Amino acid sequence: MTAANDSADLEALFDSIASDIPAAPPPPAKSVTGDSDDLQALFDSVSSDYQVAAPTAVPIEAVTDPAAAGAWPAQEAVFNRIGHMARLLHDTLRELGYDKLIEETVTALPDAKDRLAYVANLTEQAACRVLNATDVANPVVESVEVSSCALGQRWDKMFNNQLSVAEFKVLAGDTRAFLNGEVPRQMQATRAQLTEIMMAQDFQDLTGQVIKKIVTLAQNLENSLMTVLIEVVPETKRTEEVTNLMNGPVINAEGRSDVVVNQQQVDDLLESLGF
Amino acid sequence: MPADPKMKFLVVDDFSTMRRIVRNLLKELGFTNVDEAEDGAIALQKLQTGGFEFVVTDWNMPNMDGLTLLQTIRSTPNLKHLPVLMITAEAKKENIIAAAQAGASGYIVKPFTAGTLSEKLNKIFEKMGLA
Repeated sequence: MTAANDSADLEALFDSIASDIPAAPPPPAKSVTGDSDDLQALFDSVSSDYQVAAPTAVPIEAVTDPAAAGAWPAQEAVFNRIGHMARLLHDTLRELGYDKLIEETVTALPDAKDRLAYVANLTEQAACRVLNATDVANPVVESVEVSSCALGQRWDKMFNNQLSVAEFKVLAGDTRAFLNGEVPRQMQATRAQLTEIMMAQDFQDLTGQVIKKIVTLAQNLENSLMTVLIEVVPETKRTEEVTNLMNGPVINAEGRSDVVVNQQQVDDLLESLGF
Repeated sequence: MPADPKMKFLVVDDFSTMRRIVRNLLKELGFTNVDEAEDGAIALQKLQTGGFEFVVTDWNMPNMDGLTLLQTIRSTPNLKHLPVLMITAEAKKENIIAAAQAGASGYIVKPFTAGTLSEKLNKIFEKMGLA
């Protein structure tokens, strides 16, 4: 914000206020001759010098000074008063720490955004790794299941005396190969996928740290903003709730009666409505 | 098997992970004929091409949300008979009521289990007279 901007804005504000002031007291110099304009200009330049030298003392005097009972001094007073209000507001904000808050927000929010994107990225990667692992492991487990069922059925035949000696020898050999070969091999492959699933959880440590930082940031922001809001928002507006059908997961259902917390409650609700 | 294992499903969710999970669960239950759509608008396009017999949809999605998809399905003559099962994180009572009133065949809140999906599917099949 530049000084030029400041004064332009203040000027505009001042103009709008000044135009509202009804009929400024008529300048007493009306009856005097045409040199009043020059005098006025001289007066203005002198009085503005004076105001720069002693800014705090001026407003009251400018209003009350009977010698300055023209349109300009009255407007100067308004101008000055607004200047003081702006300064006061600025100082108050600084005293309350709001200027620092605003500065922190500006720098912290993009950072929080990046951190959340990082969390989303890591969790998505983890989900993919786990789904890939189950995709690999499922057919392996299934093949062991199918093979063992087939062998079992042949053993059932053996126990029902439906196998010849030669067939029994083949069955014994197949079973031995299954137990020594296929099962250990497939179980090893499955275990590798279980390890992969376990390792895919390593995101939790990283995202946990990042999320904790964001929670702290959000709490700080919330506290500060709540203070401002409580001062600014009228009582009646505070309890108004946004009604919306797309709220996402319920993060904390404690003490809420408008949400369900499990499938059973969904079913009960639907049933109670006759669906 | 209560219903035809060749029954064609459309799984609608904006997150590929969830689509994959639902697809895998359906496969476990014996349904391998599954297509996916990432929002309601794409789902409608796919449904219009025909052949689908069951819709499983999320609620909160870009372009067209699940409730609008459900309402559109129910108001489209050649689609309105389709069973629509909602699987969503939206857990407000008014959500569940709104979905039921719009004609949802079932409502599952996330996170959910394989058992819940199986139970709700069977319940819908029963109502359809397939079980």
